[in-house]
Amino acid sequence: MKKLILSSIGMWAGLSIFSAGAFADKPEEVTVGYLNLVNAQLVTKSLGLVQKEMPGVKINYIKVGGGGDMLRAIAGNQVDFGGLGNPPTAIGVTRGLPIQGIMVLNMLDFVESMVVRTSKNIKKLEDLKGKTIAAPFGSTTHYLLMTALADEGIDPASMKIIDLRPNDIALAWARGDIDAAWFWEPALGAVLKDDAHLFMTSGLMAARGYPTWDVGVVMNDFAEKYPDYVNKFVTAECKGIDFWIENPAETAQIIATELGLALEDAARMMKGTEMVPCAKQLTDQYIGTTEKNGQFVDTLIATSEFLFSQKRLPLVAERSVFEDFIDPSYLETVVQQ
Amino acid sequence: MQTNQQAVESNGMGIAIRLRQRALGTLANIYYSGKYLSILSVATILTAWFLVSYYGLANPIFLPAPESVIKTFWQVATVGYQGSTLLEHIGTSLYRILVAFLLACIVGIPLGVLMGTSRSAHRIFNPIIEFYRPLPPLGLYTLLVMWLGIGESSKLALLFLSGLPGIIIATIQAVTDINPNYIRAAKSLGAGRWALIREVYLPGSGPTILTGMRISLGFIYTVLVAAEIVAATAGIGWMIWDSAKFLLSDVVIMGLIVLGLTGMMMDQILKICGKIFMPWTRIKRS
Repeated sequence: MKKLILSSIGMWAGLSIFSAGAFADKPEEVTVGYLNLVNAQLVTKSLGLVQKEMPGVKINYIKVGGGGDMLRAIAGNQVDFGGLGNPPTAIGVTRGLPIQGIMVLNMLDFVESMVVRTSKNIKKLEDLKGKTIAAPFGSTTHYLLMTALADEGIDPASMKIIDLRPNDIALAWARGDIDAAWFWEPALGAVLKDDAHLFMTSGLMAARGYPTWDVGVVMNDFAEKYPDYVNKFVTAECKGIDFWIENPAETAQIIATELGLALEDAARMMKGTEMVPCAKQLTDQYIGTTEKNGQFVDTLIATSEFLFSQKRLPLVAERSVFEDFIDPSYLETVVQQ
Repeated sequence: MQTNQQAVESNGMGIAIRLRQRALGTLANIYYSGKYLSILSVATILTAWFLVSYYGLANPIFLPAPESVIKTFWQVATVGYQGSTLLEHIGTSLYRILVAFLLACIVGIPLGVLMGTSRSAHRIFNPIIEFYRPLPPLGLYTLLVMWLGIGESSKLALLFLSGLPGIIIATIQAVTDINPNYIRAAKSLGAGRWALIREVYLPGSGPTILTGMRISLGFIYTVLVAAEIVAATAGIGWMIWDSAKFLLSDVVIMGLIVLGLTGMMMDQILKICGKIFMPWTRIKRS
């Protein structure tokens, strides 16, 4: 038995040395975890742009339901690249997940919104008292819901706030189990046709000083081993963003196909989220430059402070922790090319 | 002999000696019964956990230190986790488990007896049970949420359905395993179908049914987290699921330990109930 264990340890060690030596310059496969929402990653995926940048590498795409699930996927080392909204990012970075933020995936406007049941006559946040409201916990919209309530001094305990994923929200809405929900497209579109209207959008909250966005992240291990492939990934995503901005009609077609939507729904959802051209991402409003980080760091700190007040985080990390997390160097290389 | 002992007791040393004897007896019992092996295995795991975190061999996101889990336990027990204290979380989950378990027993045992004694009943119900038994609980749950909504009933239904087959199958087994001589004897004494069930089948099948109940309770436990994923706001399973989203692995591990311990406790209670209500189960069948 002892021999067996020893020899298998030896074999394992030998194998890992071999694999590290032989494939150091090129990964065998790259796994991209993408969020189930509407942004240019769908374009990149559909046009196979990542594959074009990385010939000979197997590209896996994994669809992830929300930020909480993405955190689990990252913690479990199941992805090389991922996307996270600012609340899950704040959680992951504070908890020391080995990730770096490398680019802006999208700025969120009405693609993430709170819908209310029209027949329940909800005119202001106060009217939500005693009602059932759903949001995917740990995500951008859960954060905005709690922020909006705190902003108006409404006790969240005066209503029933439940954790549902976007698809489950659509299901619960159809059954009449919930009165309001803050979530995102494409599931949002399915609900809007059924006794529902937009009550609040994430864009309105951004105007109030609570921006939400999704940032592309890479695992530290991967970035250390294959920095060139991080550049390649960023290049592909930047091309996807450019395609989105330059070809809205074709993009709508792609999104309709990818998500199985009607064309006009896809076109409407596209308007609800902003793609930022890669050169512009390096300005102060977004991730900034290596010398001076942009406002994303401020947003992450504000988000952490809020999550801390909600007892969702054990501490508010130092500014330097978030500055270290955001690494614009890849984007800088790609933009200069 | 007795006088000797009385003399010792009058000495005032009696209690101490008896305590020592009892302690020695317990130790001897632990040794000879092999219980020390269980104690050793648990102690090994705990020591390994302690050493791994003490020497920083594991990332605390994945394996938090034992002391941080204990600290979390204390905090959740006193302050609570997201609006409910640990006892409230345990209470919510135990309520769901017990209601589902009782329903599974109330439906499962009679159905099992029926299926074990009547071939037509077996033919009617068996395909349904055999079909849904291997379905993964999450797949089943999606449908249950569609039918019953996101409230309590879909959670109870999922737990109930996962506990049911174990009881039914064990009951059928128990009923068909009964020595036919008992049945012939009872029949020759003029027992009708109802008396047969009450006087022969149920007592005779008690031990196996009890085993089925224990297995069923175990199954209910295994799907608890799945049942509390959708739209729960309290419960141990929900606490584990929710804290994982926020990467609070100390809460996850604490919740799992609590879940495991309460599960073992419930199993012990079932065993004791069996011994009380079915004294004949104490005689081992060989």
